[in-house]
Amino acid sequence: MSSTITKLNAPLTQAFDFQPSSELQLMPTPTLNTLTQQLAGFNTLTSALEYAAEGVTGYNFYDARGNLRSILPYSALRHNAHTLARRLSGFNLPRGSRVAIVADTSPEFVELFFACRYAGLVPFAMPIPVNLGSHAIYVQQLRGMLESSQASIALANIDYFGFLEEAVAEVSHIQWAGTPGKLSELPALDVELQPNHPDETAYLQFTSGSTRTPRGVIITERALMCNLQGIVRNGLEIKPDDRSASWLPFYHDMGLVGLVLAPMVTQISVDYLATRDFAIRPLQWLRLISRNRCTVAFSQPFGLKLCTLRVRESDLKELDLSSWRAAGIGAEMIRPETLRNFAEKFASAGFDGNAFLPCYGLAESTLAVTFSKIGEGCKSIQVDSKTLIDKRMAVRLQADGRKQNEFVNCGQPLPGHIVKIVDEDGQQLSEMMVGSVLMHGDSVMTGYYNNPEETNKALKSGNWLDTGDIGFLFEGDLYITGRRTDVIIVNGRNIRAQDIEELAEQQPEVRSREASAFGVNDEDGTTTIVLVIECRLTSVAERQSLTTRLQQLVYMAFGVNCVVELVPPHTLPRTSSGKLSRFAARQGYIQRTNLTGQLSFVESGDR
Amino acid sequence: MTESNYDEIMQVLCDRLSSLTNSNVQITPETNLISQLSIDSIKLLNLIMEIEDTFDVSIPINALTDVQTVRELVDLVYKIKSAS
Repeated sequence: MSSTITKLNAPLTQAFDFQPSSELQLMPTPTLNTLTQQLAGFNTLTSALEYAAEGVTGYNFYDARGNLRSILPYSALRHNAHTLARRLSGFNLPRGSRVAIVADTSPEFVELFFACRYAGLVPFAMPIPVNLGSHAIYVQQLRGMLESSQASIALANIDYFGFLEEAVAEVSHIQWAGTPGKLSELPALDVELQPNHPDETAYLQFTSGSTRTPRGVIITERALMCNLQGIVRNGLEIKPDDRSASWLPFYHDMGLVGLVLAPMVTQISVDYLATRDFAIRPLQWLRLISRNRCTVAFSQPFGLKLCTLRVRESDLKELDLSSWRAAGIGAEMIRPETLRNFAEKFASAGFDGNAFLPCYGLAESTLAVTFSKIGEGCKSIQVDSKTLIDKRMAVRLQADGRKQNEFVNCGQPLPGHIVKIVDEDGQQLSEMMVGSVLMHGDSVMTGYYNNPEETNKALKSGNWLDTGDIGFLFEGDLYITGRRTDVIIVNGRNIRAQDIEELAEQQPEVRSREASAFGVNDEDGTTTIVLVIECRLTSVAERQSLTTRLQQLVYMAFGVNCVVELVPPHTLPRTSSGKLSRFAARQGYIQRTNLTGQLSFVESGDR
Repeated sequence: MTESNYDEIMQVLCDRLSSLTNSNVQITPETNLISQLSIDSIKLLNLIMEIEDTFDVSIPINALTDVQTVRELVDLVYKIKSAS
């Protein structure tokens, strides 16, 4: 423990360095700007920032107790990013070189991100560690991203630099790794910063913490601006008196594109709470919205659930959520009950259920694909469960008493984008038929960086993006019914089944292709991860030791508990090519354990 | 801080953990939070909130990556409490 404590000292001094006098003077950036609002009408991120810097709005950062700790007006962001870009220029890197940044919710991250763009470099955000005992696995994850991106520079603030240092030790192409403080000690070259071209890569977005096969989505300036225009003009109808509040991590697409970049390209102010602080005290987010009269705030359904769980009657009296006009919901399957429970709970605090704005998107399409109609709340459809399973068809419920499923209307594609539903053979299906969701449009990624194999799996001919989700269209609106079996979503986090199986296969007792991971849902929608292992061990102690070790490894890597089932060899179903079928493995598990109502209509096999 | 403060933190955490997990596992300093108590993310957040409120400290998230046992958690809280 002692080595950890030594490393802790630096951040702790910072954390307890309260300066009440300066805190009193700090005022958040205003909501109303002095500048005429432009809704993402820019070619590149840097030209958008040059414009936003003419005004008085910007980013505000709050601590766990709701005190304003620092502000970063767009004018200061532009100034600081220019200076940092000149320091980065000293490395003489070719244009488009990658810069890795561990992204906690801080002004430094945003400054570095924009400094990279001014210097013609490609930034990408790396996650912060969130799980108990995850030290070693976190370092492996960082190393995987550094290797996959072939990054030249890596940065982390003092709290996370120790992990980064361990990760870069074995990565040869890293020329420099340091903290923002170290970067500021380097000289700023007196060079002219070159404008970027819309076809250049704006950033990479990593979609999975996989250590062996991380996937860095390539997003160009053009794709980004196209998506941002759709979001702020059509999805949100942003107006000059809008203000955002966010706890979403900067290393997720919804946090970065939706709540860092979208506010900047529309010159509105944002109030940030660190994800960790939200997770521990979710009500702080609602207090920010209430106090600063915020109008636009997004969350995963999980975030709403946390708020509903934690709120007390006395909290409700202090909150006024009536300013909140766009409560965007996305990033995981939306269950109508989650929204209904939240709306019911917070109605007395002025929350208007019509503010719910379900949407659908993924990092491979920059962020957003569809938005429901703003101001109309969450619409859903009830369909007959039996027809859904037997015929893969959504039929509206005609009579009471039949078993039904309810799905949320995620709305229509952004302008210039198309969604279609296809069957296993890629044939387009008609309305109400359930199949794979494919999409097309200028927001779609160029591919995964340095990973043609994964790129070819996701991008089909004609540049159609296979989203990996299952759903149907009705009157042009998209309804998501589930996810294919390659991704398990637990508490709002996307976990790749393959990553869990890889962990298992690294154990000496587990052979390759003898582990299968999938999710099962209980009645209230909670997802549990199940890991089925074909196991030759006979001793009870050895079997117990493997089970415990696997549960511990999965927890340390993903922060979730899992059920481990050891089965005799040849139990797991295989496809004709010898590949394990997660879909069939899941059906088998459900039959063995007699879970009711679990047989699935939402999956169509593995990608 | 004295030894009794350390013991006090240990006592409070063991009590909290035992009511939080509802399990029959006898909680000792060596109990593994992950494999023996199955602390999931929601329970963990609840526990951190209670620790922060009870001891008036702030637990940095990066420090939890080296915590697996009850003793390691107590060591961490004690260290932070002593530094404040």
